Amino acid sequence: MITSYFPILVVDVAGSILMVIIAMLALYKARILQGLDPDNIVFHYLLWISLGFFIFAVSRSFGHILRQFLILTDNADIWHEISAYSGSVNTVSFMLVGMITLFFKQTWDINEKVLAGRKNLEKTHIELVDLNQTLENKVIERTELLTSSEHKCRRIFEQSLDTIIVTDEQFQVMEINPAGIELTGYHRDEMIMRKMVLGSFFAQFTEWESLLKKIRTHEYILNEEVEFLRPDKTSVMVLITGGVDYGAFGCAKTFHFIIKNINDRYQMERQIAQADKLAAVGELSAGVAHEINNPLGIILGYTQLLLKQASSDQKDDLKIIEKHVQNCKTVVSDLLDFSRKGPSKFTKVDINKVVDTVMKFLSNHSDFRHIEMVLKPCEGDRLTIIGNEQELAQVLVNLLINACHAVEGRGKIQVQTLKPSEDKIIILVKDNGKGIEKENLPRIFDPFFTTKPVGQGTGLGLSVGYGIIKRHQGSIRVNSVENEGTVFTITLPAEAGRS
Amino acid sequence: MTIQLCILTRRRFDFSRLLNCLYVLFILLLLDFFSPESGFAIQQHSHAEGIIVHQIGHFFFLFSMLILIFTVTGKGLHKQKGWAMIQISAFLFVLWNLDAFAAHLLDEQLEIVQILPQSVFKMQLVTHSDSLLLAVVYYLLKLDHLLCVPAMLMLYLGISRMVKEHRLANPNKEDR
Repeated sequence: MITSYFPILVVDVAGSILMVIIAMLALYKARILQGLDPDNIVFHYLLWISLGFFIFAVSRSFGHILRQFLILTDNADIWHEISAYSGSVNTVSFMLVGMITLFFKQTWDINEKVLAGRKNLEKTHIELVDLNQTLENKVIERTELLTSSEHKCRRIFEQSLDTIIVTDEQFQVMEINPAGIELTGYHRDEMIMRKMVLGSFFAQFTEWESLLKKIRTHEYILNEEVEFLRPDKTSVMVLITGGVDYGAFGCAKTFHFIIKNINDRYQMERQIAQADKLAAVGELSAGVAHEINNPLGIILGYTQLLLKQASSDQKDDLKIIEKHVQNCKTVVSDLLDFSRKGPSKFTKVDINKVVDTVMKFLSNHSDFRHIEMVLKPCEGDRLTIIGNEQELAQVLVNLLINACHAVEGRGKIQVQTLKPSEDKIIILVKDNGKGIEKENLPRIFDPFFTTKPVGQGTGLGLSVGYGIIKRHQGSIRVNSVENEGTVFTITLPAEAGRS
Repeated sequence: MTIQLCILTRRRFDFSRLLNCLYVLFILLLLDFFSPESGFAIQQHSHAEGIIVHQIGHFFFLFSMLILIFTVTGKGLHKQKGWAMIQISAFLFVLWNLDAFAAHLLDEQLEIVQILPQSVFKMQLVTHSDSLLLAVVYYLLKLDHLLCVPAMLMLYLGISRMVKEHRLANPNKEDR
């Protein structure tokens, strides 16, 4: 059958050319697609399949066009020779496309797994970010709470009027608050850098040993009353409470102590006790003195009457009686002075003038000849009080005589007047003598208490002085360190502040 | 054996795994036959091997396109226009493979049809028993580019569509 060859020729040649062009365009688009998302394995796959189709289109089109050309140019024999190779390449090319295509399912499955993994990863990432944010918020919140708590604790620590001390296991000071620095009298750096032990603040090492034993046994101590000794040798009574802190998060064991200064209270209690005691003694003394005073007067009267009539032998005996009766009367008089309840004659008294007069008077005395007498009067305001000048002078004389005995005739006695406030005047009598023994301190104002040899003192000087100062609505206190000296502090109400 | 193993181990039989094994076996067999010449092999081969390998290649191509069609449907990708076009492309390649297979069968294997070009415009179509139907069928089969060119075009359009959709979905992403 003879038929038109042209349609076949046109479709074959034009189709071959179009196949190559379209395959090339498909490859180009697949490349763009792969470029848009290089991590997408399906797009990679499409690029590969497009490449396969391109190879297939090129090999096939080349074969077809060549065949048409060779047949139409009467070179069918040449085509017959090379057709096997062209066909083989063509076979390989579409088998290549087929092979690539067959991996589509696997590729897609892998892609799905990758995408699912990525999705899970993103989800996990979001959860992690959320958790991280929550964690950050919690950390911020906790940090704020911690800062607030730390600030609160720091404020309590810094502002506390009681001493707070933190020590390590060896009781070496690690932290101390300002109140503690004031109480102990040491510098902060000195305590921390020198690793001072808490026990070094104690006046009596035995007290520290006793406390240490309690802490080691019970791991705490509660309201223990002890005495601290400052670097300036003044002592302070304190109430100490403490316990162990095993610490958190692996911190080392520490001890925390709260120390309360009870010195004022202690002094007050002592003064009250002393006042009570002296009041009772005063009552008794007054009664006894009053009962004894009259008989003594009678004895003295009759003795003096007998002296006028007696012979010279009897006169010596009577004079001895008279002398001792006079001594008794002096004692009785002192006792009556000590316990006097009736009002004395009070006028305006210039304390500086009283002190000056007494100092001048005593400095001429032979006992004070080798003693350095120093007067430090308060300058500025006049130190005026309402009181009895003679009585106040008597108190000062007693104190200065005691100081003279304390320095044993050689040393330094200093009298100082102060006006710390408008309503208060202070007289300090300091000596650098041997001091008063600690066990004697509570008893020095007791009537008839004396450390002097028999016959040298009645033991009424300080008692009378105490009574006089009390009548002036003042107070008298003593601080004494053995072998270093004694300070008597007389506090009197100033005229301006007296109600 | 795989099925027996699955029964013994009480595991669910995975047909896709079996299919993969068959692919590999098939590819190996084809690779053994892809050369039409026999001179390079130890075994002697006849000249008919070339066309048989070519025909098997067409079947393999057809088979892979069918697999692609079913996979695209199975994965629900046919709902996306790009993949639907690729699926149509695969379908047209299936038809083209059938066309090419039939043409090769008639002229090279059965040798019942032969074209004798006489000029650019004329040719003689020699058929067995001078069958007109066979001549018409063969003439139409020779216009196979009417199938493979649209198939290639659909592939191009499908990929182009996917590029467009991807750009729309990710406007900030640039080509690398």
